[in-house]
Amino acid sequence: MTISVGDTLPEAHLLRMGANGPEAVALSSLTKGRKVVVFALPGAYTGPCSTIHVPSFIRTADAFRAKGVAEIICIAVNDPFVMKAWGEATGAAAAGISMLADSDGALTHALKMEFTAPPLGLFGRSNRYALVLEDGKITHANVDAPGVCNISTGEELLATL
Amino acid sequence: MIEVGKGLPDAVLLHMGANGPETVNLSERLAGRRVAIFAVPGAFTPTCDSAHLPSFIRNMQGFIDKRVDEVICLSANDAYVMDYWGRHSGAIAAGITMLADHDGAFARATGMEYSSPKSGMLNRSRRYAMMVDNGIVTVFHPETGTGVCDISGGEALLAAI
Repeated sequence: MTISVGDTLPEAHLLRMGANGPEAVALSSLTKGRKVVVFALPGAYTGPCSTIHVPSFIRTADAFRAKGVAEIICIAVNDPFVMKAWGEATGAAAAGISMLADSDGALTHALKMEFTAPPLGLFGRSNRYALVLEDGKITHANVDAPGVCNISTGEELLATL
Repeated sequence: MIEVGKGLPDAVLLHMGANGPETVNLSERLAGRRVAIFAVPGAFTPTCDSAHLPSFIRNMQGFIDKRVDEVICLSANDAYVMDYWGRHSGAIAAGITMLADHDGAFARATGMEYSSPKSGMLNRSRRYAMMVDNGIVTVFHPETGTGVCDISGGEALLAAI
């Protein structure tokens, strides 16, 4: 599938870091009966992701919550160890953003959002997109062209609500 | 396979330069030099972060005293993650070179591939340390257990050279 308003996200098993190490979390368990924001990006510690994309959601987190968003989820094709360290380094974890690892890229592949840049050493990563989901259904979708961080920022998504 | 007395498969690795990831040809890097290489399953994972990397940081002077030209930390992470991990851990400040086997090709070519899907670790590397003189492996210390860093640590390699 591609990403379209009105669609339901496919089920995916992502990983997050629990108290005792990585734990699987079904995406549907986070979206069912809730309003959530999901944003995805090419990779932890890469330039625009660290300096533009994640900070834009840190800045807008409270505004999303004021609009009834129960959880803000950042997804990247990294492992959960890297996602946890990155969440701490950027301040995303402190801002209450959930850092989830699409470690095998299965969700990204299912959404046809794969991003590969061999000179940078990035394979099977994710394009940038930002979504609002209500009960698992996409109500707002800002999908950026490969390599661009423009409409998938927190401010741009917030402006659509 | 990695064997004492033999050379290593050629590999193109990535290193973070001032303007982004740069390729490093391993055989060129090893030619005519004494190089200690240690490989880890993943940046920011518990044993790598708490034991393996620190064991080389604290033994850097010992390697210099034994005329080792370069100490290289190798992991199947991307160059961005390796660079940040190197700075965050103090490894780069200690003089350790952080190289990304970003597509896991070197781990595969050496038979050291390692995966732990439930932890989100796919196509990574087993833990080991080796001494390479002019491209020829002179000491090889593969770790036998998982979650331990004993024979592959900095002290054990330093004692063997």
